[in-house]
Amino acid sequence: MSATTRSPAMTRSTPTIDRRTVLRWASGLGAAAILPSCARGTLTRAAPGDDVTLNNDNPTWAPGFESAGEVLRAKTGHGFAIRAVPDVSSYQQVVRMSAQTDSTTDLVKWWNGYRLQDVARAEIFADLTAAWDEAERNGWVDPSLRESFSYDGKPYAVPIYQSYYAVFYSRPAYQRLGLEVPQDWDQFIANAQALRDDGVTPILSAGASSWESLIWFQQLLIGLDPDFYAALTEGAASYTDDTAQEAMAIWADMYEQKLFSPPDSQVTELPGRFAEGSVGMNLHGVWNANAFAQAGVDEDTFGLFLLPAVAATAPPAVVTESGALAVTVNAHKMTEALEVAGAWLDTDVQQAWVDFLSDLSANPSALPPVQPVQDLAAQIEQASPVLATRYWEASPPVLVEGNVEELSAFMTEPTLAMAKSTLQRMQNRADAEWDRWSM
Amino acid sequence: MTALDERNSALTPRTRPARPGNSQRPHGSLLLFLFPAVALVGILLILPFLFTVYRSFFRDNGFSRSWVGLENYTTLLTDDIFLRSVLNTGMWTAGTLLLPVLLGLLIAVGTNSVRWGPMARFAIVLPYALSGSVTALLWNFMLQTDGATNAMLDSLGLSTLERSWLLEWPMNTIVMIIATTWQATGASMILFLVGLQAIPAETIEAGRVDGAGGFRLFRSIVLPQLRPISVVVIGISLVNSLKTFDIVWLLTRGGPGTESETLALTMYRQTFTLSRYGYGAAVAVILTVIVLLASWTYLRRQLRTN
Repeated sequence: MSATTRSPAMTRSTPTIDRRTVLRWASGLGAAAILPSCARGTLTRAAPGDDVTLNNDNPTWAPGFESAGEVLRAKTGHGFAIRAVPDVSSYQQVVRMSAQTDSTTDLVKWWNGYRLQDVARAEIFADLTAAWDEAERNGWVDPSLRESFSYDGKPYAVPIYQSYYAVFYSRPAYQRLGLEVPQDWDQFIANAQALRDDGVTPILSAGASSWESLIWFQQLLIGLDPDFYAALTEGAASYTDDTAQEAMAIWADMYEQKLFSPPDSQVTELPGRFAEGSVGMNLHGVWNANAFAQAGVDEDTFGLFLLPAVAATAPPAVVTESGALAVTVNAHKMTEALEVAGAWLDTDVQQAWVDFLSDLSANPSALPPVQPVQDLAAQIEQASPVLATRYWEASPPVLVEGNVEELSAFMTEPTLAMAKSTLQRMQNRADAEWDRWSM
Repeated sequence: MTALDERNSALTPRTRPARPGNSQRPHGSLLLFLFPAVALVGILLILPFLFTVYRSFFRDNGFSRSWVGLENYTTLLTDDIFLRSVLNTGMWTAGTLLLPVLLGLLIAVGTNSVRWGPMARFAIVLPYALSGSVTALLWNFMLQTDGATNAMLDSLGLSTLERSWLLEWPMNTIVMIIATTWQATGASMILFLVGLQAIPAETIEAGRVDGAGGFRLFRSIVLPQLRPISVVVIGISLVNSLKTFDIVWLLTRGGPGTESETLALTMYRQTFTLSRYGYGAAVAVILTVIVLLASWTYLRRQLRTN
């Protein structure tokens, strides 16, 4: 055979790649990429080493959790591996579904009140009695908060933070008009009127299509009678009672006086509009102070005050909101997760956390480095107001979600007639949903 | 023997393609080729749908479920929010069938043979290249009560025309349909343009020779030849309008309250916000039935006619 003659075997050995080879390689690589991810989602895989996984609905909190995790690692030997699902609805579904399986994170962020009870009664969270006992023994938490983290007498979560609903006000606008922080309801209204007369939007109030429509509803109710608010949210009073009617009438009157922004305003506009002095005030969770910090707004731009009671006879009251940190019963590292939950309220851990969060902790010794928030903490300590659970967590979730939509609709047509029909529909929903809740 | 007869006789029985309805059983390899597509549709579409139908007969909160039969469906029929949702979906269907399809056709015809046509078509197609969320952001900026539209009306001395565009029903649904029209017209126009360019020039010339011109030429010569592409454009618009979700979710979240909700939003809210999986499944089943019925009725009629 001459040197130039090639055998069939030699022909096959040339480096040409036929279509079948390409397809085989592509299939192999595809399977290699897909199959491992079928085994377990990256969101729910156990953390490497001694760390525990924590799932939450706010990706921007990751640096804060990391820094609190460093302190936790020094104290318990376990830090955080953070997971996040940014959309709240999706997050809730992920937790509800995954917590029933072994594809769950060790810890999850949740809500307190009825939202916690809603899932705690399905037995997906672990009992944190030991963690609460230790926190109370060390003076890390106000024991009165325990109830809103409990179901059937046992706590199932510890507070992630302790936020209050207070009025953010624009210092430039207040200074320009010579206004003082109001000491009573009449002075608050007078301030708002002065801002309006100066061409400033007195109160930015969002909520046309968001949960924020509940903010003024709950505030006016606790400003009239905190006991009535507690009874209403527990299903022991009616939305058509006089106090609720009065609250809605005051709300409608404030709209009539043009004290509110249009309801499709966005609270994200606030830092910029405060700085330019075009908005005077905004009633919101103090956690929004973080938005000011992140927008690079100077601390001199805004202040915070507790809204005075509406009725002269009503005691001072403030709405409070807490995120909840829970351990799932199917946690990969149950012992470690319980240790972390037990140490979460430690002052050093909380200090690292609020240094990032710019909000208050359930541990009163940990204060964020934001002067207006520190001043508010001092006001709260001095006034010792009645603490009212935010409406979002204060009643069964389906009832709240439906009623919040009614309130959003009211904000777009804030008349007395609309107020009356809104309250009636809210009560009808309450009748149905309380029945469902107890089924 | 005609040329056609010659070609037929040249085809042996072995090489002649099988006709539909032929009693020959499909070859094994054909089944193999069909399998991936059938399996994908079966596993990802048919099975989940059957499971959704099954789930709609339960009261289900994700943790526990109890059989309630048709209760979810009977509750839906007396639920004002659901009925408003059906009405809004009807408005979306009518609006998006009328506006983007009609405008797409008119613009395609109007710019098909003029010198500045490509420029005009580019301007119309550009919004189609934007994502739904960018479109919503843009329109939100314009339609907020403190937004650009009201500011412009105010500066022109037309403050009486200012509205809370996204807060009043049915105005909010109407402006969202207009926003969708702005974005979707480009797609219809491109498809109609493809149809127009496929029309043989001889038929137009023949029409002109016979004395037709202007609107008569369009109605009697062009439009009938656009029919196949019209079936596609209208069919796509019909299905898209029935499952409208993204722009409503981004602009109003179905609000204020639930006033601008479409069926797709009601399904999402019941399932993912309220965790009422059974009720949400019932809405999903009704939406699917409506989409299938509408598409099937329309396509069956159109394809049979063709």
